[in-house]
Amino acid sequence: MSAPFVLSDTVNLAAALVIGLFFGFFLERGGMGNPHKLTGVFYRTDFAVPKMMFSAILVAATGLCLLSDLKVLDMSRVWIIPTFLWPQLVGGALFGLGFLVSGYCPGTAVAGLASGRLDALVTMAGIGSGTLLFSALYPWIEGFYKTSDMGAVTMPDLFHVNHWAVLLVVYVLAGFMFSVMERYEHRGQPVVVKKGRPAVS
Amino acid sequence: MNKNAFWSPYLAGAGLGLTLLASFVIAGQGLGASRAFTVAAGAAMNAVAPAYTTTLTYLSKYLEQSPFHDWTFLEVTGVLIGAFVGVLMSRGFKVRFDRGSAMSVGTRVMTAFGGGIILGFAGRLARGCTSGVALTGSAQFALSGWVFVIAMFAGGFLFAALFRRLWS
Repeated sequence: MSAPFVLSDTVNLAAALVIGLFFGFFLERGGMGNPHKLTGVFYRTDFAVPKMMFSAILVAATGLCLLSDLKVLDMSRVWIIPTFLWPQLVGGALFGLGFLVSGYCPGTAVAGLASGRLDALVTMAGIGSGTLLFSALYPWIEGFYKTSDMGAVTMPDLFHVNHWAVLLVVYVLAGFMFSVMERYEHRGQPVVVKKGRPAVS
Repeated sequence: MNKNAFWSPYLAGAGLGLTLLASFVIAGQGLGASRAFTVAAGAAMNAVAPAYTTTLTYLSKYLEQSPFHDWTFLEVTGVLIGAFVGVLMSRGFKVRFDRGSAMSVGTRVMTAFGGGIILGFAGRLARGCTSGVALTGSAQFALSGWVFVIAMFAGGFLFAALFRRLWS
């Protein structure tokens, strides 16, 4: 029998809570509850967000390649995020604006609230309201929302290559990106992590 | 709080990656966050204005069960608890409005709420957020994940150039 396991509803929901616990713990330990750290990347003062994100992607992707080749994990039973090219391009760019203005994204707002940040709670209320706004406007958005449906397409499908080839490219790109970020941060650039006024405006 | 209170982002990222991998193996799905907000907002709306809520076709599929039976809602509940454990380790808990140096509390409430509305709207349009599409999608090499990551950082950089004084 291979994973993912067939769990009863109760066990699956309990697993969700435990998985979330680790998710929140690592988010907070990486500084992802701090809006100054979260928005630092957009001002090129603190690259914690892309560093943490791409480290996580590399670790999880390596595990998925390995476990699926070893037949431990049956990828055909794992939910693959579908691609809707244009809605995700436009939605992603708008999301970047919301991230910059609020200083959070949905998961990190929850981590921010855990440290007593009331602005994170206000952002959470905003996210709920934005969701309702989307639902109210849905009849007018539905056409665009459903365009460019490419299904559960992955890079190995798209380029007709083995997943290890894609992983190698991701390692090389991430390694290059990490080294550029490290050099940039150590060039005497102000690293804004303190609450309040940064060293240089 | 001094910056050394946090772990190296590479180490925290590796822990996050293992958590994501465990989620794929155990539950057959990655991590998520924005879905929890949709489920919660839907349930709240349904409690306040049930007649209007039934007219919202988009929300109907999120109203089929209580939030406490929703996988992502429980996962995000776990995020709150797990993050609080992390905060206790660094003694970083303090009730306050965290904001840019030149920003009043009133302005911060507006940017937090306004930015949140954009996040909520954009997350629904993109079918997920930083967790559900960017992190989960990219790790499984789904095209959606990489499209979202590139668009999000491009959008953030572009708008940061327009709003230079917001955080710095």
